[in-house]
Formats: sequence, structure tokens, C-alpha cells
Amino acid sequence: MKYDAIVIGAGANGLVTAHYLARAGKRVLVVEQHPSADPSADVGWIPAAVMRDLRLAGSGLRIDEPDPWITAPLPAGGTLELSRDIARSTEAIRRISPADAGKWPEFCRRMRSLAGVLERLYLVPPPDIESNDVRELTRIAGLGLYVRRLGKQTVIDLARILPMSIAELLDDWFESDVLKGLLGALGVWHLKQGPRSGGTAFNFLHHHAGSPIGVFRPARSNITQALSKLPGVEVRRGARAMVLARNGTATGVVLEKSGETIEAPLVASSAPPRATLQPLAIELYPDFARAVGNIKARGVVARGTLTLEPPPAYSTLCIAPSLDYLERAYDDAKYGKDSTAPYVEVQRTDGRVEVHVQFVPPGTHGGLAERVAQILNVRPNQVELQPAEESLYHGELTLDQILFMRPVPGWSRYRTPIEGLYLCGSGTHPGGGIPGAAGRNAAREIL
Amino acid sequence: MKRYDAIVIGGGHNGLVTAAYLARAKKSVLVLERRPRVGGAAVTEEIFPGFKFTMFSYVVSLLRPEIIRDLDLPRHGLHILPLESTVTPMENGDYLAAWGDHDETRRELYRHSPRDAEAYDEYGRLMHFMAQAVKPILGMVPPDPTSFAPGDLAGLLKLGKHFRALGGERLHALVKLMTMSSADFLDEWFETDVLKATKSASGIIGTFLGPRSPGTAYVLLHHYMGELDGVFRAWGFAKGGTGAVSEAIASAARSFGAEIRCDAGVSKVLVRNGRATGVVLENGDELSAGIVVSSLDPRRTFLQLLASNELPAEFVADIKRFKFRGSSGKVNLALDSLPSFSCMPGIGRQHRGAFSISPSLDYVERAYDDAKYGEFSRRPYMDIVFPSMIDPGMAPPGKHVMSIFVQYAPYNLNGGWTDAKREAFGDAVVNTVESFAPGFKSKILHRQVITPLDIERITGLSEGNIFAGELALHQLFFLRPAPGWAKFATPVRGFYQAGSGTHPGGGIMGASGRLAAMRILKDGGGA
Amino acid sequence: MSLRTTPFHPRTGPLSEGQAWRRWAGYVVASAYELSHDREYHAIRNSAALFDVSPLYKYLVTGRDAARLLDHVVTRNVGKAKVGQVLYTPWCDNEGKQIDDGTISVLGEQTFRMTSADPTLRWLHLNSSGLDVTIQDVSETTAAVSLQGPSSREILQLAAERDLSALKYFRLTSAKIRGIPVTISRTGYTGDLGFEVWVDASQAVPLWDALIETGTPYGITPAGMLALDVARIEAGLLLIEVDYFSSRHALIEAQKSSPLELGLGWTVATDKARYNGQAALDAERTRGPAWQFTGLTVDWDSLEQLYAEVGLPPRLPSQAWRTSVPIYDRSGNKQLGYATSGGWSPLLKRYMALAHLGSEHAPGTEVRMELTVEHRRKQAQAHVTPLPFFNPERKRA
Repeated sequence: MKYDAIVIGAGANGLVTAHYLARAGKRVLVVEQHPSADPSADVGWIPAAVMRDLRLAGSGLRIDEPDPWITAPLPAGGTLELSRDIARSTEAIRRISPADAGKWPEFCRRMRSLAGVLERLYLVPPPDIESNDVRELTRIAGLGLYVRRLGKQTVIDLARILPMSIAELLDDWFESDVLKGLLGALGVWHLKQGPRSGGTAFNFLHHHAGSPIGVFRPARSNITQALSKLPGVEVRRGARAMVLARNGTATGVVLEKSGETIEAPLVASSAPPRATLQPLAIELYPDFARAVGNIKARGVVARGTLTLEPPPAYSTLCIAPSLDYLERAYDDAKYGKDSTAPYVEVQRTDGRVEVHVQFVPPGTHGGLAERVAQILNVRPNQVELQPAEESLYHGELTLDQILFMRPVPGWSRYRTPIEGLYLCGSGTHPGGGIPGAAGRNAAREIL
Repeated sequence: MKRYDAIVIGGGHNGLVTAAYLARAKKSVLVLERRPRVGGAAVTEEIFPGFKFTMFSYVVSLLRPEIIRDLDLPRHGLHILPLESTVTPMENGDYLAAWGDHDETRRELYRHSPRDAEAYDEYGRLMHFMAQAVKPILGMVPPDPTSFAPGDLAGLLKLGKHFRALGGERLHALVKLMTMSSADFLDEWFETDVLKATKSASGIIGTFLGPRSPGTAYVLLHHYMGELDGVFRAWGFAKGGTGAVSEAIASAARSFGAEIRCDAGVSKVLVRNGRATGVVLENGDELSAGIVVSSLDPRRTFLQLLASNELPAEFVADIKRFKFRGSSGKVNLALDSLPSFSCMPGIGRQHRGAFSISPSLDYVERAYDDAKYGEFSRRPYMDIVFPSMIDPGMAPPGKHVMSIFVQYAPYNLNGGWTDAKREAFGDAVVNTVESFAPGFKSKILHRQVITPLDIERITGLSEGNIFAGELALHQLFFLRPAPGWAKFATPVRGFYQAGSGTHPGGGIMGASGRLAAMRILKDGGGA
Repeated sequence: MSLRTTPFHPRTGPLSEGQAWRRWAGYVVASAYELSHDREYHAIRNSAALFDVSPLYKYLVTGRDAARLLDHVVTRNVGKAKVGQVLYTPWCDNEGKQIDDGTISVLGEQTFRMTSADPTLRWLHLNSSGLDVTIQDVSETTAAVSLQGPSSREILQLAAERDLSALKYFRLTSAKIRGIPVTISRTGYTGDLGFEVWVDASQAVPLWDALIETGTPYGITPAGMLALDVARIEAGLLLIEVDYFSSRHALIEAQKSSPLELGLGWTVATDKARYNGQAALDAERTRGPAWQFTGLTVDWDSLEQLYAEVGLPPRLPSQAWRTSVPIYDRSGNKQLGYATSGGWSPLLKRYMALAHLGSEHAPGTEVRMELTVEHRRKQAQAHVTPLPFFNPERKRA
């Protein structure tokens, strides 16, 4: 059997790329190392264009938009619950801080406006600032003009806030520890940084992109599952594929266990860029290989499930009672240890209860489940965690690894130095937390 | 009553530079200094008989060479001497040394890691280029990206062209330098921990950040900046201490006809019909001038010298948001004799350079952790120099002064700074040095401990921040000190700002003062 | 051994870290002791630098007619000089062209020590016929060190155990340092406060030790010729064979210079009896010298611009240079003269050069200096600057 294209990885981005290619008439094979589809929820904004182009609406796609979108315990007992309705959230906040409640609507408005800029940047390949191509320059100028038309305040906010730490940003606005804690957690989400680190304000906005005003947690969905049920591409599971290349050109893949070779003139990998490219080092030039080696993708998150009977009343429970709490959790990770008191978030989606624990750097994880159980007030055997060795985003979303710097500087257009080999996973622009965006951008570049 | 063309508030080095340039352009200029002597944070004082201390600042990194030339400062006594080496004692008793000679440094690095010894040259080459790329930015008046004024658009276009001309490799490196932590940036190049620790330690000076905090990589460039100006070395020490720098600038300003009045604190800037017309001194005297320039930090310039109703509310909010967060202290010691460090026993050429107490990244990071939660570092990062080894005139013959720059000592210490806390901080410093140089404590004749609160109290620098406002990415360039007002003018006509709190700020560079003077002269200069 | 070492070599030899030596009058002296001459240079302006200047040619001229002989040879008025005075002076051939320059120390009414850069014994003999004078070459038996810098007086005072504040610029005195008889003259080649110490060669090593020991707390630093070269350019001091040719070595007329052309008009006496070159110099003075020896400051912005055009930051010479470089007018087309020495002043942060220009180019005149940037000849903008570039008050105070 001959294929026009092979896609490595049957996650959301891999499948999106595969389906866009298939829609363009290509014979596409997807190779996935896991034997069955991951049942856990996809977290993140699904761009409308992906849903429209792939007609996901009628395909069993469910997007969970819980209301209230977050629940956080208060130190004095009770909880803070924030809703999709700004007025209701404002009232909830007023009970802990009238001053913060007063600022909430304006904060939501300003953040929404900044996230809007990111959304626009994310649905297209990153600007190529080195280019001398007139079309590209026009596009960049257009982006610039668009931003400036949003008004002076947005421009200033962009310049000021993006490099800021989320702690500085939140301290500018709010006084309540609980509020700052639950917002700050989004700033360090999947990042090996504490809330006082510069660039975490960007991470916060990145994860706000796609959400409605006043909602600071990405949507949860079953997009991967929905995509895997779509007809049009062939998926082979349970085999880890490595790219084959000769004389600088991709020739196909080889399956790790069987050694079977599958040929195709085009390979798109949604696996982490480093895992994809490092075995091909001999086909790369040293500076590129070095840049790939330098991708920061440090694992800091353990994900898992929580067995709760009956399922909890809340949809999202956030244990990050203050910015200091988050910062201390990060401090441990700096020295290579699991957080003594980790940031824990519990998410209920479709009856599944998943848990996100941060910071959990690679290494040994003695007592982690016990500590998480204690924080959640459950028994240790109710918690099951899988610490990740590498960043689940295939590359941390720090300011030096976004836009034209992602996945490696100068190679942000989904191409690689190997002819016919493309990257299409969350290691590429715009990165993790936006299932399908990278896959769609990559497919459009390939086509 | 005499009416001056310009009154400069604050006789720190930037204020003096502004005054000297204005006077050189034949303006009648008066400098008003609150303290009995000029210099602000760059003063040398004899606190202990025979021993001269550079009280706050300690090294002259980047005093702009064009200022030295334009103002003929060597004729007024300025002599900047290179600091030759840096020795970092390690906790295992070994050391890492960087000497003035390239081959020697390479050989020393090779001892720690042959790979790093090779990477060092490549790294140096890149950084050299990067410094070259950044330098013109430091020298330009920042264009305002929110403005549609032709000048700003032209400035932006020029900036854009400049960046594009760099080419891919350097542009990407620049983005990395502007956004990464120094630890992460150095991780891409080196494997020797103590090398990364020492290099990144210089990136945290004056900030409230640790080596793993993003935004600290940029300062790594400063080491390479000097090479472009014919300085060849990054750090220097002024003969007679940094006070001598101020004195030389003051002397130059006087030679051009500027008047300098000490013990003359300013309490208010006089504003009539939205225009600055003069100042009121603390003793109630009123002085009038065509323009008024403040070289104080932004907080005092706008929130203290002016009534808030004289400024737009949005601007006041921006200034209030401007971060200071002093994080460093200083311990000045008079020594009977030089201490011997156990990693490199004896007295020798190592004492003519700096000792960096930064044995590992974790060490420096932990020092930061203490400060993050409101404590001074129990085992702080320290940059130690013996000024008397470079300029023997700083101490009686055979005796020495030791200058210890210490980080971190947060301005907002838990429970606040007290005399007891200050001494405890001093003890932490001295005990840490003792652990690397046994017997050192017995050589101390006199000790002066300076906390950020002391810096604020004596020099007036808000929260004791030595850069008159944190040098963080979001407080640089067109955002320094506030968006739309980074071009030395202020919302009050005839009132200008010239301190380190304006672009480019930081260190004893004098660049802000010079750029401010240029702007003022372009505007007509009050006459 | 074909090259000789100086009497201080037992001490200076082991100090040399980079084995960087330079030839001087058949001797080897240190170019720099440390791997870079930076610190040695800064010591001259900041504390005190100690130079071995033993290779100078030294002649003891004694006898009833000693002053008459010297007055006949040199351009300055030796007869008027008092005991204890030191004269810096050039000397000329009969056409008034400079042969050499050096110092004459008036050690006694009839005892003079003359130093020169080139051997001068034969010239002195040629001029002494019929005079009651003895000329002794003491070059090898007299060793000398030069101690230069703001702390030099303090160090010497301690070493000699006497007050030297009364010792004025270009005066000398005899003294003892640790029992060693020496002559101390307040002279030097740096344009700074400084002294030269003259000693019998056999006592050179103990003298060196005494000075180093006394001077260490004051930052005394042994220094070599590279550092000296920068300082002497800052001070605007001439170097034979570099900035001018001895008329006795010149092959063509154009290679010769007169003291008036070299900015040494002040050393040409108008109040003394006939001496070598007098008539020619008097005539030249009347019509005005055609050339001048002056400073040039290369403008930084221009330098930066020339390098920026090829994408480089300015390259500055790390050592003083000694080559002939053309100087043009501001249009860049007409050559006005040539520079003979130049370099970067770390103290002044200026690129300076010493140049021969037509006399008509007053200080402040804008000129162009040739500069090679990336293998291509360019012209940097420069300005005529009066000498010296650096002249601290302490030099004479």
C-alpha cells in the first residue's frame, strides 16, 4: 500500500493535520504508539475554523463549558465560585474583597482584549520577521496596524504585560490571595516557572485565548476522540514510528518493534520536535541539531485520575490558595524535588474526574500521591498519577519559545531542514492548550 | 532675583551630566543637591579615619566614553581603572577564575570542562555581536509605538530596520536574551555549574530576581558592552571611588559655568499654567528658571515634587505602578590586612579583581528564595572587591578597604528593618565570607552595613533601588518610566526628567543625563 | 650572548610572565611584565610604575670647559643652568637639523651627565677639540630606574628617608636609599609626576628591592615599554627613529627635522654663544618653520561609522603604533602631512596620534587620517589637538 503522507501521532493535532491532508485528496496514514485512544479530556480552546473545516459539529464532539468554571476553597471555610456571568462572579468576589470585585469587570475586559490579539496570531503561521517577501511584510504590517487600531491602551498593555510575571500583573489589580492564587495558577500552567517569573503573564493570556470574557480556564472537550471517529484517514495504533530520511529527504517511517518500513514522500510528526528530530541528527546540520537539543521541555505536571463516589459537585476545583503557595510549590521544583505542597486542580468532565498536579519534575516521586490525597481529603488509593518526564506541550510556552522561535528559532513554519518532513504538534506554533491549531496551520503550510 | 535658564534638581551623576552639557551649551544652570556633597549614590566618604569608602555603588561599569570625552573628565581627575579578574570560591574548596588574559582563562575553564572552554569563545563572539546590536538602542531616544507622530513612526521604522539587518541568528539570540533567565540561557552553552552561577550572578544585580527568573539573561550582555567603546574590560573602578566620578563631573560642570549648591533640598516644583517656572527650596526660598530638570527617581520626581492635580491621572497611576523593590545592600569594611581565601591561599593578584560568592546556581537561587519571602539571604550572593588594591589611596599604607555588594536584602523586610536586623544582616555577610576565608573576621577594624532602607534614607532613592527603578523588561525603553513619557519630557511643560529612572537607566552610565540634556537643548533649553 | 641584559635583570627577568622583551640600544628590556600591559599603564597614572631605563647612553662630562662643550653641542643654554638642574635638550648638526635629544644633569659646577638615545661619544669628542674637558662613557656602569606616577614621590621619600617636596620639576638631588648612594632627578618620559634614580650598576639589585619593598603598599608596579609608549604619546613626547630621524641617519634632506619643526622651539636658546646649527635655526625662526609636530584626535563617531559600514564595532589598537600614516585635508584629496605614532588612550578614551603637519594648520582644524578598515584604506575624521593630550597639575606641583 502506498501513502501520500504519513502522520505520526493520533493526538488532536496529528489527526487534524491528517484530515486536512485527506480532504485535499491525499492518502494519509496515521501511526500512533498507544494501542487505544486516550480517554482523558482535551484541555483547550478549539478554534472555530477547525470545527467548521472538519465538520466536527455533528461528529460527537462535546465541549464542556462548566458554570461555575472554578471553585476554590476559602481559608475561613466555604468556597469562591466564579461563573461565566461576570456580574455573578463580581458578587462572589465581593464577599471576599469588595475592592477586587470593583476591578473584576475591567480586568476581564482588558485580558479579553489582549487574548484577542493572541487568537489572531495563533490561527496563522507566525510572522516571519526575517522575510523580505512583500506578502509577508504586508501581513506583518497588517498585524501591526490591527494591534494599533485596538487602541493605545492595548499596545501599552501588550508591551508591558507580556514580559511581566503573573504575580506582578495580579498584584497590580487585586488583593485577595484566593483570587490571585486561582488566576495565578493559569499563569504557571504547564510551565517550569513560579508566578513571580517574567513571562507567566503571557502564559496566562495564552490559556485565556479562546475563552469567553471572564473565564480563565480553557474549555475541556473530547476532540481527540471525535477526530479519531472521523472517516477519511487510516490509523494504525500500537506502533511507535521513527522518521526515515536519506540525503536530506524524508522517505517514510519505520515502526520500532516490527521494523516494518512504510514509505511516503511526506511525513508530518505531531510528536515532540526533539523526539522526532534527534534520531535524525546525522541528516541535520550541527547548529540546527543544537537548537533542537536546546528546546526547553521540562516536565512539571503529573496528570491522573481521581476515583470519587459519588462524583463531586464542582466541575473544577483549584487548590492554589495564594501566589506564595504557588511560588513555594515551584521552589521545590527548582531544586529538582516534587512540590511539598503542590498546586492541584481537579476537573470533572463527563463523569471522569481528572487531576492536574504541579510541580512534579522528573525524578522519584515518593509520597506524591499521598500528599495530593491529603490535600484533597481523600484516601491515597483514590489517586492515580502519571508524572510526565517531558513537558506535555512538547516545549514550554516561555517567551523565548513562541511565535517565530517555536519550535526552534527560524524554523517556525512547520518545515524542517529535511525535505518532506514537517512538524505539526504542540511543539510548534501556537503551542499546547489549543488542540488542532498547530495541526491546522501545519496542514495549510504543507498544502 | 536671578533667573536661571535651567535648574537641575539632584546632584547625582546624571543630574551633574545634564547640568554640564547644558552649561557647555552656554546655558545658565543651577544644580540643587539636598546633601552636603554632590554624587547622590556615587559618593566616597571617609567613614573611618584613613579609610575611604565608596558608600553605595562600587564599580563603574559603563560610564559613557563620549561623556568622558565631551566633558574632558580626565582633566578633572577622572581615572577609571580596570578590574582584572573574578575568582569564585567553590564549596568543595576549588575555585573558578577568570583572568584578564584570554588564554589563561581558557586554560582555567578547561580544568573544569574542556567543552566549556571551547564554547566560551563561541559564546563570547555571539555576545560581542549582540552587544553591538543593542548599543545603538541604548543611545537613542525611544520612539513611542502608540503614537502616530511622524517622528515616532520614523523611529519605529528605523528600529525595525535595525533589527532586521541583524539577520536570523542574532535576532533570535536577541529575543532569547531579552526573555530568558540567565540560567536557562547559559544552560544552552555551558555545563560547568559554577561558571553559570558566576555569570548569571552579574545578571541579577539590582533586580529582585533570581538567576532562574526570566528576563535576567539580558544583563549578561553588559559584560561585552565595554569592549565596543575601547574600554576592553566590563567593569572598572574609579580612582578615589565612585565619588571621584561625581566630583569630576561636577568640576567639569563648574568649568563650563554651572553653579552647584549643596545643602539645598527642593521641596516643590513651581508650576504656573501647566508650565514649570522654578522651584521652592526646603528652606522656603523660591528660585525661578526657564526649565526645571529632575534627576530624582520617577516616584519622587512626580509624586513628591509635583502636586498630583498637575499631572494626568493615568500618568500618576503608571508612576505609582513603577517598581523599585530595592534588593541589595552593601557592607564596607576597614581591614588591618587582606584576607586569604582558602581556595587560593595567600595574597596575590586575585585580590586586585573581584571575588564572587556564587559557588553554584542553587546557592544564588536560594539566596533569592529567602528574599522572595521577605527575609535577607542567610547565605547571600556577594561581589567583593578590595578598592585599596586598585587605588592604594583608599586606605592607609598596608591597610585595606573591602567593599561587599550583597544581594539579597529586600527593602520590605518582614517586620521591617531595625538596627538589630541590620547587624544580623551584617553578621550573615561576614560569616559567609569567613566560611570561604577563615580568619577573615579577625582582620576587620571597622564595619559599615547599609540596607536598602539606609540607601533610601541617605540618598533618597525610593525603596533603596540602586537603579532608580527596577531594570525589568516591562520598565525599559519606551516604558521607562511610563508609556508615552520616556523621552525626558513630562506632562508638565518645561519640566524634564534626567535620572536613571529614564531610558536607558542603570549603573553609573550617565547616558540618561546626557540624552536628557540633548532633548532639552533640542527644545530650546529654557533660554 | 649577543644582546645584553641590564643590571636589574636578576629582578626583572623572573617577573616577565609572557617573555615579552624588546631591544633597546643593544639591551633587552621588558615590553610588558604581565600578559597585558594594561595594569602597568594604569599604574603610571594611578599609583607608580617602575621602569628600567638603564640602556640610555650616559656620558659624564667633566672639566673646566665642560659647560662650554655642552653649550656648543646642544641648543639650550647650559652655562645658565644651576647645579642641581636638569635640562631637556635636542642637539643639531650645522644645518640646524636635529641629531638626537636627551638630558643634561648639572651635577656640579664642572660635572655634567648627558643622556642620549644614540651613541654620542664620538660627536662630543668631535666638538671638544681644544677644550679642557674629559668625556667618560658611563653607560654600562650607571644603572637607572624611572619611577613615574602620582605616588612616586611618597614612595621615594620613604625609601630615601627624606622630604622631596622641595625637589622641583627638572631638578636633581643626591640621596641615599638603604645606604646606597643615588642621584634622584625629577624627570621622566610620561608627562606625570615622576623621578629617575641613577645608581652605580653594582648596586642596582638592592636599589630595586628597596624601591619595591617600600612601594608595595602604595601600588608600585614594574612596567615595560608598551605602557611607557602609551604614556609618552599622551604626554606628546618625541621618540627618535619613530617621530623623527636623526639628521645623521637621514638619507635625504626631507627626512630631517629641526627642533623648531618638532615643537621644541622653547629649547632653542637665543641668548648664548655660537653653537651647532645656530645660524640655521635663527634663520628658520625668523621665517617661521614650515612644519609643526602636533597632536591629532581621531573623532570617535567617524571611527564608529567607518567600522559600522562593514558591520563591525570599532577596532582600536591595543598597543601604541609606530608607523607612518598619511594625513589629508578635510576633502580627503590633499595630503597635509603624516602621523608617526598613535594609539588609544585608556585614560582619556581617545584615539590620539602624533603628526607632522604644515605649520598653517591651527589647533581645531579638521583633517583626515588614513585608516585600514577590513583591508581597505579609509579616512577617519580627526582634529588637530595641541600637545600634550594629558598634562596633570601634579607633574609640576
